Amino acid sequence: MIDFGAVGQGMDLLFSSFGPWLVVVPGIILGLIFGATPGLQISMAMAIFLPMTMYMDFIQAMLFLTAIFTGGSFGAGIPAILMNIPGTSSAIATAFDGYPMARKGQHNQALGVALASSVIGALIGYVVLFFMIQPLSYMVLRLGPAEMFVVILWGMTLIASLKGEQVLKGLVAGFIGLLVGTIGFSEIGLARGTMGQTYLLDGVPVIPAMMGMFAASELFKLANKGFIVESADHRKVKIGEIFEGCKMAIRYPVVMIRGGLIGVLVGAVPGVGSSVSNLLSYIETKRRDRDPDSYGKGNPKGVVASEAANSSSEGGSMATLLALGIPGGGATAVMLAAFAMHNITGGPQFIRQQTDVVYAIIFANFAQVFLLVIIGLLFIPLLANIVKVPMRFLIPSVLVLAVMGSFGLTGNMTGPATVLVFAVIGWIFRHYGYSVPAAVIGMLLGSLAEKSLLHSYQISGGDISYVLERPVTLAIFALLLISLFSQPLMKRLKARQEAVQLR
Amino acid sequence: MSEYKRDYGDFIVLMGLAGFTLWYLLDAIRVSATPQNLLLILPLAIIVLAIIALELALRLKHGSLFRSSADEPLRKTLPVVGLFAAYVLSLETLGFDVATVLFLSLFLILKGERNWLLVGCYSVAFGLGVAFFFSQMLPYPMTLLLLPS
Repeated sequence: MIDFGAVGQGMDLLFSSFGPWLVVVPGIILGLIFGATPGLQISMAMAIFLPMTMYMDFIQAMLFLTAIFTGGSFGAGIPAILMNIPGTSSAIATAFDGYPMARKGQHNQALGVALASSVIGALIGYVVLFFMIQPLSYMVLRLGPAEMFVVILWGMTLIASLKGEQVLKGLVAGFIGLLVGTIGFSEIGLARGTMGQTYLLDGVPVIPAMMGMFAASELFKLANKGFIVESADHRKVKIGEIFEGCKMAIRYPVVMIRGGLIGVLVGAVPGVGSSVSNLLSYIETKRRDRDPDSYGKGNPKGVVASEAANSSSEGGSMATLLALGIPGGGATAVMLAAFAMHNITGGPQFIRQQTDVVYAIIFANFAQVFLLVIIGLLFIPLLANIVKVPMRFLIPSVLVLAVMGSFGLTGNMTGPATVLVFAVIGWIFRHYGYSVPAAVIGMLLGSLAEKSLLHSYQISGGDISYVLERPVTLAIFALLLISLFSQPLMKRLKARQEAVQLR
Repeated sequence: MSEYKRDYGDFIVLMGLAGFTLWYLLDAIRVSATPQNLLLILPLAIIVLAIIALELALRLKHGSLFRSSADEPLRKTLPVVGLFAAYVLSLETLGFDVATVLFLSLFLILKGERNWLLVGCYSVAFGLGVAFFFSQMLPYPMTLLLLPS
């Protein structure tokens, strides 16, 4: 499982000169800034700085890009906690409990919890990658399109039913999100729902739509408030409380390890990655908890679950990239471009022939994780000052950043226009109790769901009995049904028991 | 907002979502009625319409078809939404720099900031700073009125 000769050579590659390490600290800082700025994406930072890697050797280039990735994974959680706007889709679940913690004046603790969970999560991801890179790549190959489709449906159902009281509205939001995600050209070259507009041919720009839905629904609502944290005492940034938050995270090792493992496994599935892993980990933690009603109201375990999963996804997606040459998401797609710039092709051949390089990347990431602790602790007090800014200054400034960032993503007015349209939709959804996260995740996964279903249809020749030959598909489908019906059934049983006891 | 006050908004949103679903399904059928094209869209649209029908039936049963649970003051929020819409729609005409400065200053005034010096300084410094940063960082041309593009 481990080639110790290659491990030694990997160490040599890393420590024979100081060169590779020069780019790590700037990479982490860039990742933190881009991750923490709503509208700027980690993949965007990596893409912008990709040309710089041409002047680096391959190891240095990979260290620089993975450092941006590591910093960005944690950075995205900062606005999620302080403003309820996930810096990227990988921090959606961080906002569920991180932001309520901030509203209660526990923003320092929430940031500490997020930092410790990110660091340990990333560590879990790379430890698993170190031991499991070959078995993991085998497992990923076993997942066919039918399994991918039911995984997406399962995830959607779980996300949609997060809002316990309004499950039907949650499902409507999630499934309409899936439909919106299929707008534009399909896999077979047919354009649907474009209303004759050329800018919709590639589909609705999902990231600007996500920025609009998340930013609007909360920022428009907050426009009537004075500060994110109303109490002046609670707005103080205290390093002691950030440390307290770090300790708080360590108190939940099971949540952390489970989140880390979910992150690696989901992160290894191409196209799914940290956007889904943080939500799955959050939902699983909430489902297993004795007090699920405390989630969404500032339970630190929710932040631990989300941050551990999104950070460990990096290790999982690196496994797919290195072992199969398939990018798991936007960030690893940029890394694949860096591979090409250095005339390197990822995949089984790469692992076999350049095992030392693979191990060097893994070891460098262990070191990056520890550097993230130091740099994160230095940066959090700076970034946490956001809570001291009055809302009348903060809201328009964040909206401006979102509009500019969306323009940066599309290169034309489609981005800002999409932000506006989905800002209004998001505000209406939140006003009337529809699940905004379910709608956004639906949009993110719509085209992937359709593609997976189409491939299953093509493989099976339209024969539905094909599904019966796929035990994994059936098992996931059973899980989907259990997660959809278990909650209302359990509630009904509990109510009946209470009624009997009262008699 | 009173719990018993009639609110047609929620009902209209539900109908709007049903309308969108139906329109999208018909558009997809118009483009091609092959199974490959409708594999996901048709069953999903039917499920969405069925859930909406179930939600309406449940509300009718409980007599809460037009009851709202939302308590957000719409009168205070709508001007903010309108100002944001005006900002986005004016970006191409006024340029990202001028439109951003105007949006920031109008937002601050709308939300009660009366320190005119602060309004002016913040709007100009942040607005022009952000517009300049993005115009330099992005590889696409941005419409700018005052700043060099």
